[in-house]
Amino acid sequence: MLSRVADSLYWMSRYLERAEHTARLVDVELQLWLDQSPETGAGRWRFLLEGLHAPGAKGAVDAAKLMNALVFSRTNASSIVSCIATARENLRHVREQCSSEMWEQLNRLYLDVMQTNPDEAWMLKSHGFFRAVQEGAHLFQGITDATMSHGEGWQYIQLGRYVERTDTLASLMEAHFKRNAQPADQVVESAEYLEWVALLRSCLAFEAYCKAYTAEIRPLRVAEFLILTPEFPHSVRFSVDRINAALHVIGDLTERREKSPTRIAGRLRAQLSFSQIEEIMGQGPHSYLENVRSECAAIHSAIHEIYFDYPIESEMAS
Amino acid sequence: MTATAQPSRIRVQPSFVRYQYETAYDEMFSAPGVPREHYQALHRTLLGMPQEELLKRQQAADLTFLHEGITFTVYGSKEGTEKIFPNDLVPRIIPSIEWAKIEKGLTQRLTALNMFLRDIYHEGRILSEGLIPRELVYSCKHFRGEMRGLNVPRDTYVSICGTDLVRLPDGSFAVLEDNLRVPSGVSYMLANRKVLKRVFPTMFRDYGVWPVDHYPQALLATLRSLTPENCQYRQDPTTILLTPGVSNSAYFEHTFLAQQMGIELVEGRDLLVHDNVVYMRTTAGLRRVDVIYRRVDDDFLDPLCFRPDSILGVPGLFNAYRAGNVTLANAIGTGVADDKAVYAYVPEIIKFYLNEEAILPNVPTFLMTNGKHRNHVLQNLEKMVVKAVGESGGYGMLIGPHSTAQQREEFRARVLAEPRNYIAQPTLSLSCAPCLIDGEVESRHIDLRPYILMGEKVTLVPGGLTRVALRKGSLVVNSSQGGGSKDTWVLREGNGEDRVAKITSFERKAG
Amino acid sequence: MAYSVRHITRFRYEPAVRESVMEVRLQPRTDMRQRCLSFSLDVTPRANIMVYRDFFGNAVHHFDIPGQHEVVEVAAQAIVEVLPPTPSLATYACDWEELDERVAEGDYWEMLLPSHFARPTELLEKLRAELKLRRQGNPLELLQELNTELYESFEYAPNTTKVDSPIDDALEARRGVCQDFAHIMIALVRQLKIPCRYVSGYLYHEDKVKDRSPAGATHAWVEAYLGEMGWVAFDPTNNLPGCERHIRVAVGRDYADVPPTRGVYKGEAASELSVLVSVAPIDAPEPEELPPVMVIRSKPLNSASSLALDHQQQQQQQQ
Repeated sequence: MLSRVADSLYWMSRYLERAEHTARLVDVELQLWLDQSPETGAGRWRFLLEGLHAPGAKGAVDAAKLMNALVFSRTNASSIVSCIATARENLRHVREQCSSEMWEQLNRLYLDVMQTNPDEAWMLKSHGFFRAVQEGAHLFQGITDATMSHGEGWQYIQLGRYVERTDTLASLMEAHFKRNAQPADQVVESAEYLEWVALLRSCLAFEAYCKAYTAEIRPLRVAEFLILTPEFPHSVRFSVDRINAALHVIGDLTERREKSPTRIAGRLRAQLSFSQIEEIMGQGPHSYLENVRSECAAIHSAIHEIYFDYPIESEMAS
Repeated sequence: MTATAQPSRIRVQPSFVRYQYETAYDEMFSAPGVPREHYQALHRTLLGMPQEELLKRQQAADLTFLHEGITFTVYGSKEGTEKIFPNDLVPRIIPSIEWAKIEKGLTQRLTALNMFLRDIYHEGRILSEGLIPRELVYSCKHFRGEMRGLNVPRDTYVSICGTDLVRLPDGSFAVLEDNLRVPSGVSYMLANRKVLKRVFPTMFRDYGVWPVDHYPQALLATLRSLTPENCQYRQDPTTILLTPGVSNSAYFEHTFLAQQMGIELVEGRDLLVHDNVVYMRTTAGLRRVDVIYRRVDDDFLDPLCFRPDSILGVPGLFNAYRAGNVTLANAIGTGVADDKAVYAYVPEIIKFYLNEEAILPNVPTFLMTNGKHRNHVLQNLEKMVVKAVGESGGYGMLIGPHSTAQQREEFRARVLAEPRNYIAQPTLSLSCAPCLIDGEVESRHIDLRPYILMGEKVTLVPGGLTRVALRKGSLVVNSSQGGGSKDTWVLREGNGEDRVAKITSFERKAG
Repeated sequence: MAYSVRHITRFRYEPAVRESVMEVRLQPRTDMRQRCLSFSLDVTPRANIMVYRDFFGNAVHHFDIPGQHEVVEVAAQAIVEVLPPTPSLATYACDWEELDERVAEGDYWEMLLPSHFARPTELLEKLRAELKLRRQGNPLELLQELNTELYESFEYAPNTTKVDSPIDDALEARRGVCQDFAHIMIALVRQLKIPCRYVSGYLYHEDKVKDRSPAGATHAWVEAYLGEMGWVAFDPTNNLPGCERHIRVAVGRDYADVPPTRGVYKGEAASELSVLVSVAPIDAPEPEELPPVMVIRSKPLNSASSLALDHQQQQQQQQ
């Protein structure tokens, strides 16, 4: 397929994933914030920003302003509204690639979000909004899976989603480990407990975790669940596995199997499959997750270099 | 109708109370209140359907258009760029005998125009024999000297054509203008048909209408028949659709057609030329391109050869074209044949190349380069339609009877300054057809744009786009200036009269 | 008279650009008045050079360089023999009627209609009125007079106009370079209903003759169709008739048809153009010093698809 089109599908998917992730995070944080005292509440917002890898706020955080920046601001390219608008714009440029149902759904999500008017009381009843964004995104994914041929175009959509997910998960956990005590294989209580539950909920993982490990929250196991579990969709391992799968199919379809994106992704996957959580924590989760993020960025660059934006002279030579 | 349990609820049918009968030919009525044979069933259906029901169906149709994003751009509109394409539910019906004549006439016309183009870009017989002044052809801004001596596959310069027809007060069809460069609107034709089949499924089936859905397949076959001389795989030329991009007013049509034909939708920046061969950038590497269905104007196709500031084109494309390594459909330089001043000569063109009289006549046209005509026109501007020769889309046009004195003065000055660039025609009464306006049936002016394809053979899709001037009394049908469209039904046999009996009984049962 | 012509054009880009596509009109014509005995074209970086003949009969070479590059150098080398003019023009009787008849019979419309640069403007009208230019006497003499009048009314001043300047710039200031002189003359001559065309080529500057146009550059002049005499050359920049020192490379309606080099590239870059032209009789000794190189610098303009880069830059953003 056309490089430009593949590029647009990839980015549409990344932006939509970003919007959904942000919605999840902000929703969870907002619930927590409502439960807390003003002092601890302020600190939460800083964590949130770190988790989103957004520029930090100095001094006292005005919750309303922050919400606006994270959710509605058109000047912030990573706000929920901006992400959805950009995703839609990308899809609009390649509409012939998607089914009409896909377009209708993304367009509907866009219109809903654009028509939301944040007034003063909005923050207190925003849960519905965040829910709608997540559902809209999930619905889009479902429609895509059901109505789009799982050909090359569909693979770029998967690729975009999971590259973004790997990056955001790693970011989120890195920020979390930075501010919380080193996870131990012990059950935690009260405040710390809330933190770990929030982390799980941010990844839609609370129930799945409980099923795998029981309702006793053991931080070490939470880390293991979110980094190394191959079955859970919002784990780093799962996302990297999906990246690999997509790259393999793309490599076959374009007859470019032995290229750099596949190599780097394969390497990262191997690393994740053979790591053990105790090692990771011993080595320091921070550096481990940093590495995941930088490998992810390398995969992203390699994809551009090989499939989207390759220099012509190398093509002519072959 | 039996008495209902709630006598207070009155079912209102759309009536024809607001229907105006004019001097123009009326498609539906041969006399006030007397529908023509092929319209009888439709008339009955409209009378028999509650207004509420019709409105509901209209809304459903609108929603379909909205959700599918069937939009277009209106220039000069402040509300933003995309608007839903206005459509009218009431189909326009054409009996098969009438269509047969249209088909013959348009085939003849397009054949002659292609021969004309070949001639003026080669020997120029028609010019040296004095039938058309050389100056007229060379001063046309769409005449491209670069095309001289260049051979195109099958000598087919125009493979996709949309010709606008009008029905005169006496009921006969005449050609209003040809569109030989980048004719658009075919996707609306297909969309209208889709919607009408949903809105009036039984009536549609009972009428027996020729399908139009095969247009994309026919178009693809036409494009593929134009393989360039130096194509690598002659049986399977790589065909693409070149679009200016999302901001183009016809973008929806580009995506629609590319999708229906199963070909790649490409923008200039996806292409490059290397050693006179055109390639597109794909994820699997560079892939050679053989046939380009280009929806980009000549001027913007190649910054090396034409407008250097164009970002929509491909540098070196024309050289590849010249070398026979790629085909462009339509060819470059076809605009000289749809120039409105050249239009006036088309009957002579048909005579010259085919030795036949034109089956479909032109509308009487005055060339402003002719002194006598010019004077006559300038003295009677209120009764004339003055058009700029190179424009389309209804721009650059003065409609005498609807103009202000100031507008007429402005046009007078323009015509005197550049007579070569203007022609005039007496105001035409376009025919009228019934349209659903706010729950009532009213008459509006319409025209017809059939689409003709010329590849290995000439193919006409039965029907085409019937364009409607939605504003009461207006004669401007162009979508970009507030026009709308209708589905066009060309009947399979006779004029539907033998179907009438069946339909009548069916409708009564439903009543 | 046989000449050896060397014409080197170098484009330097900063930063590097890619996908250059270029056309050059550097091969001297072969026709009744001159013969191009040999011609070679070298391009650096290496490219496959293709050629076609345009509808004016000019040989156009073209090539593309897909990969990243900072320099494109085109070196043309030609040996041209300019034949002495056939019987002197004075022997021809030439009158307006005969001219009009021949023009009507033939196909000269392209050289009569306004073209991109050579078109009537208000300032041109003013000049025409000033020169009291209208049909009178015999066409040849009239044009010879016009040739001289333009030479006298306009100053030769390099760097006052640009390669894409409309004639009004030169008309306003009453100065310009050979391209402007030629365009103005063409526009005026066409108004007299005489077909007139633009000639791009070289002028051999003999030491003893003081020409206004400089050595080391390409030159432009005009040819007017005068019936039986065919296309007659006039050089208003230097107040010369066409002579053996004029070497014709390409003809067209005006400069827009026949730029010596024309190209398009991808990338936002400042470009620097250097041109070296040397014309010498083939039996002349090697010159001691090379003629000066003309250098023109420009800022990035609308290089084709700097949008391509823009698009990537503006559309997506990394976290």
